[in-house]
Amino acid sequence: MAIKKDLSINFLGVECENPFFLSSSPVCNNAEQISKAFDAGWAGIFYKTVGINGMDEVSPRFDITTKETTPWTGFKNMEQISERSLAENVEDIKILKAKYPNKVIGISIMGSNEEEWVTLAKEVTAAGADILELNFSCPQMTSHAMGSDVGQNPELVYKYTKAVVNNTHLPVVAKMTPNIGKMEEPALAAMRAGAQGVSAINTIKSITNIDLDILTGKPVVNGKSSISGYSGSAVKPIALRFITQLAKCEELNEVQLSGIGGIETWQDAIEFILLGCRNVQVTTSVMQYGYRIVEDMITGISHFMEERGVDRLDELVGIALNNIIPAEELDRSFQIIPHIDLEKCIGCGRCYISCYDGSHQAIAWDGETRTPKIINEDCVGCHLCMNVCPVTNCITSGEVIFKEGRQNNRSAKDIVQQLVYH
Amino acid sequence: MEQRTIMEYEPEQLEPYDFRRAMEEASRCLLCEDAPCTKGCPAGTDPAKFIRSIRFKNTSGAAETIRENNILGASCALICPQERLCQAACSRCGIDRPIEIKKLQQFAMEHERKSGRKYLNKEKTYTGKRVACIGAGPASLACAAELAKQGVEVTIYDEHEEAGGMLRYLIPPYRLPEQVINQDIDQLVKLGVHFELNHHVSTEELETLKAEFDQVFIGAGMWESKTLPIPGSTLDGVVMAINFLNEAKKNHGQIDRLGSVVIIGGGDVAMDCAATSKLLGAENIYDVFIEALDEAPAVQSEKEFVFKLGVPMISEFKPVEFIGNGKVERVRFEHIKNGSTMEIVADTVILAVGQKLCDVAKSWTEEDGLFIGGDMVNGGDTVVRAVKEGKEAAAKIIESFRG
Repeated sequence: MAIKKDLSINFLGVECENPFFLSSSPVCNNAEQISKAFDAGWAGIFYKTVGINGMDEVSPRFDITTKETTPWTGFKNMEQISERSLAENVEDIKILKAKYPNKVIGISIMGSNEEEWVTLAKEVTAAGADILELNFSCPQMTSHAMGSDVGQNPELVYKYTKAVVNNTHLPVVAKMTPNIGKMEEPALAAMRAGAQGVSAINTIKSITNIDLDILTGKPVVNGKSSISGYSGSAVKPIALRFITQLAKCEELNEVQLSGIGGIETWQDAIEFILLGCRNVQVTTSVMQYGYRIVEDMITGISHFMEERGVDRLDELVGIALNNIIPAEELDRSFQIIPHIDLEKCIGCGRCYISCYDGSHQAIAWDGETRTPKIINEDCVGCHLCMNVCPVTNCITSGEVIFKEGRQNNRSAKDIVQQLVYH
Repeated sequence: MEQRTIMEYEPEQLEPYDFRRAMEEASRCLLCEDAPCTKGCPAGTDPAKFIRSIRFKNTSGAAETIRENNILGASCALICPQERLCQAACSRCGIDRPIEIKKLQQFAMEHERKSGRKYLNKEKTYTGKRVACIGAGPASLACAAELAKQGVEVTIYDEHEEAGGMLRYLIPPYRLPEQVINQDIDQLVKLGVHFELNHHVSTEELETLKAEFDQVFIGAGMWESKTLPIPGSTLDGVVMAINFLNEAKKNHGQIDRLGSVVIIGGGDVAMDCAATSKLLGAENIYDVFIEALDEAPAVQSEKEFVFKLGVPMISEFKPVEFIGNGKVERVRFEHIKNGSTMEIVADTVILAVGQKLCDVAKSWTEEDGLFIGGDMVNGGDTVVRAVKEGKEAAAKIIESFRG
């Protein structure tokens, strides 16, 4: 029998069967669609942002970035908030709440002034929502009183969060924009106004591609294009960085985090959890592959927990954070010289090319035998060669060499090393 | 789904990769240092460079590299025995399987065809110099192109109606469609090379040409068939491979009923005969050769193709007699080792046991002040090899101009 792990986790006082939620986007636009997602295994949703008025959208509205033939390394999206009316959305929230009492219905809302925020908070709370998420972060709104323009302004974040908190009994999450230097500032503003959670990141303002025929950005909307939000795999590293900074900010200690940005696999999800998230949200990979991807997130994390002897997901939250330290505190006393396994080497010379052109010219190349050789005295231990070698386990970590006078009675075994390269 | 086997004798086109498929394959390429594939190409087509161009979205650059190095780039993309040349050298073999280099070359050449771009330019370095190339096969075409690129005025003489030599008259259209040959020949036309076709050059005329031109290159092909010195080889129905393939091609596959066919030979030409017979509707086809199956000289992919078409190959039997009364009826074989004998009923016997130069061509040598390449030098090898020799001869001719 397949292993069954308890993935349940409490987020803002709400019991969730697992940490996997859909983020506010086209993947949770109405009750019928969301029903399919719940049946597939998603624990909850953040319903596509509900506004006072439905949006007027462009066609087409998406673009992707690619590398070689890998599609969707990143995704650009020009959709705004829900194109449906408040009344229609409220109706669907009621249906979902009745049909799925054990699923978590988070509702994302966005107003353009205090009055609208209040109206939305009241209506959606009355409809039966479990959590409210405040969208301070959509970068492609046609109104500058909405979206990331608000999220970049801590005073407005405070004001609107306060208005919502005063008009609901539900836990409130403020969704942050990454189009900002210090995310801690709007996050603190939201917290001081009463938000209990922060979610990050919304999409990054982008121009993905230029159409070389029409000479405009993509997608091409009648010959023109606009800056809009970028998401997917490419943004995960940026999201993890923001999450790390929020999690390490002591003033935000009481705030719970929901991680968003490029999550496709259980490994992506666990990375956010290890950096302090109690909840993760997904859209882009669902747009590409469908709701079914949650199955591999659930079993993938279960196997990971089984293999590491972990019983509760709680035990994993934030446990990698202590190992992320300022650059000035890193141990700079040694070099790890790579080792090339010539039995495995196929003689492509990629390590030699990259070491010469991109590092320290520390690999010698024998053109006759097509063999690379590390020149120990020139090698700085950067491991670029390990990152370009196309053969599994051909180049691995080798000898640890301590810099002059900096060994301090340690042996090579005392140096903790990366076990797996990609 | 099993990969589709071509079932048409004369397809208009052999389906090329589209951009995505090409990028997928180019992305498998390891982009080696001092790439072995490039060293493995006799013609110097430089696959490492053109694959890198495809990988970095520069398809025009890829086509340009191929054209600069190999005037028969489009044809070679389809017929080159890559598995024993560039692909055999591919580093990726150490991981899984080599890059499909020919398919990438075909992709770049298809880009050239569709775009109608011309990548080769005529420089004015040697204007005023004139060279005659005898034969319009691969070696001559390669020599002519190299010279024309440097401004030399080149005239190609050939006794056939059309240029291309073996490409045009021997290699079956399901391997090399007409339009691909034309695409290559067009490059020479664009370079201003003159073609004197339907023009047989005799030994006497050769003397005139030597006087008239600054240099003369000879790239005569092996157009004469070898025969078997066994009884019955002059019976009706016993045909030579070259004649059979040529006849089929010239008539677009509309030839007299073949009936039951026995092909004798284990080389690429024999495989071409076997597949052509099958595609043209012959009834019982057997390919019999003297070598062991793995030692028969045809490239593996051609053997596999014939096998996929359902033609049985019988190895290690040699023919000892063609039996019939005026017309061949049966062929008798003996096993080369164990003394077994067999007879196969045949309405048509195709002899694919090798080719040779005609006597006149044999008498033309470098000692007569001629430049020579192709079959005359290599004894009948691949098209890429002929291209290499044509290019080398052109380099020697240019050297002679430098004095």
